[in-house]
Amino acid sequence: MSYQHAQDNWFSAIIIGFIALAVLMNILRAQLGAQLYIRRIPGLDAIDEAIGRSTELGRPVTMIPGLTSFGVVAVQALTIFKYITKQIARFATPMRLLSGDPTVFAVAQEAIADAYNEAGRPDLYDPDNVRFLSDRQFAFASGVAGLIQRERVAANFMFGEFFAESLIFAETGNMVGAIQIAGTVSFTQVPFFVAACDYTIIGDEFYATSAYLSREPVLLGSLVGQDIAKLLFALTTLGGVIAASIAGTDAPIIKLLGQPGGWEAFWKSVLQGGGQ
Amino acid sequence: MVVLTNLMAQQTIWRLPEESRVLFATLIVAGAFVLILGLIPVLQTLPPRGRRAIVVTVTFLAGLFFAAEFFLPVDWTAIFPKDDPKRNFLTPAIQPAQNVLQIIGALALGLGTFGLVRLHLRNAVQRRAQWGYSIVLLVSFVVMAAFSILNTLAEKKIVERGPVLERGFAILFDHTLIQLDAAMFSLVAFYIFSAAYRAFRIRSVEASILMFTAMLVMIGVVPLGAQISPALPTIANWVLAQLNAPAQRAIEFGVGIGGLAMAIRLWLSLERGVT
Repeated sequence: MSYQHAQDNWFSAIIIGFIALAVLMNILRAQLGAQLYIRRIPGLDAIDEAIGRSTELGRPVTMIPGLTSFGVVAVQALTIFKYITKQIARFATPMRLLSGDPTVFAVAQEAIADAYNEAGRPDLYDPDNVRFLSDRQFAFASGVAGLIQRERVAANFMFGEFFAESLIFAETGNMVGAIQIAGTVSFTQVPFFVAACDYTIIGDEFYATSAYLSREPVLLGSLVGQDIAKLLFALTTLGGVIAASIAGTDAPIIKLLGQPGGWEAFWKSVLQGGGQ
Repeated sequence: MVVLTNLMAQQTIWRLPEESRVLFATLIVAGAFVLILGLIPVLQTLPPRGRRAIVVTVTFLAGLFFAAEFFLPVDWTAIFPKDDPKRNFLTPAIQPAQNVLQIIGALALGLGTFGLVRLHLRNAVQRRAQWGYSIVLLVSFVVMAAFSILNTLAEKKIVERGPVLERGFAILFDHTLIQLDAAMFSLVAFYIFSAAYRAFRIRSVEASILMFTAMLVMIGVVPLGAQISPALPTIANWVLAQLNAPAQRAIEFGVGIGGLAMAIRLWLSLERGVT
């Protein structure tokens, strides 16, 4: 099996290095006391409102990390669920975390137990509230849909990676009148969530959630670093459009940027001033 | 160092001869057990700060392995002539590392299944609300597991595949489980309809634009659209390629950068959420 390496593609190696540098520099800036701004995300402001409604109705809150296996998406989803659980613990609201991946389930049990401990209510933690249902897509979907219907949940939080089952969750939640907040990195599922949920967190807003909720300097700094990297992408695109319009798409530098090769191609291009 | 250099030159460090593999694998498994059994008591006696230091170190080393494998040059033939020019000395270890992740996943599956069975057994024994569903789940679980294990054993020629096993497996998997999966999937079609109805209701200027564009695309991509007007497929393709695709790419860029930043935070243990 062949794997990709930095040596195969100079462009990706430089971009990854730049993003890492931008993120780390801004984390350092934030730790040194720089005041960093984060814009309002209405979907995240609504989390407390949804928990309040569940508490008033005495009905459970469901949290679904999707079918994602354990990785950065799952860690981010569990970080959000940990925050929600801390809020829930203050009001003793019932909760269910439903997992479709066993590794996520194992970490979720620990994270939720920690959340109750940190909220000062370890007595409220029930391991049965964090459930592994199935690792088969539609068996998991039917398990979640059944639980939402039977327990008439009042708030439904879906954060993670979702596939065709997303609409089954969101529409079932809609049928029982739950407040629904979804956040996903699966952009093909975003239209379904937008149509069926009250609030949807789109794309990289998902990764901004923990910074938004915790306001920790490390996370805020990382977020500013990500924005600088996005600006770089936008400027590269704009620069590419202008350069291609002026020099033509056959210009050697445009070809190099469009189809980047290894370091050899890069140095050859640099040494020859953009020529071949 | 000389031994290691020789091994690298001969590429035998990851490619053991056939007869040594079983012994080597047994030694690795036994070593891992000893390490885990020794590590758990040590971790429990350590104060939280010490435990965190171990976790931070292991996380950093594991991340460093994958980062180094990606960034290190691949062509080492000038030093090791027999080496493959498309990989560095860490590349062959990628697959074993991924196998370790699969093994952890398999162990966690056992943990998840145990939790599920324990919950429903308790429901059934204590006759909690809707305990009938728990009985259905437990019976299905046992029957499915039994037939699945027997079928695997039959495939490996350890047990004989009798007519009961063959018919039972076909009924449970081909005629029940797959059909139930299909039934669940088909629900999506109805849910799309109800969700689309809500989304396309004309309540604002944005909703009107959304509905108008969606109708153009839907009509344009089906043969009926071309029959109505040859311009419709062109318009639909223009909307998909010039408006939809760039927006999706922009979201993908953002998600990719966010994921990379999160991975860096996890690697350097700067993320305190669930770690």
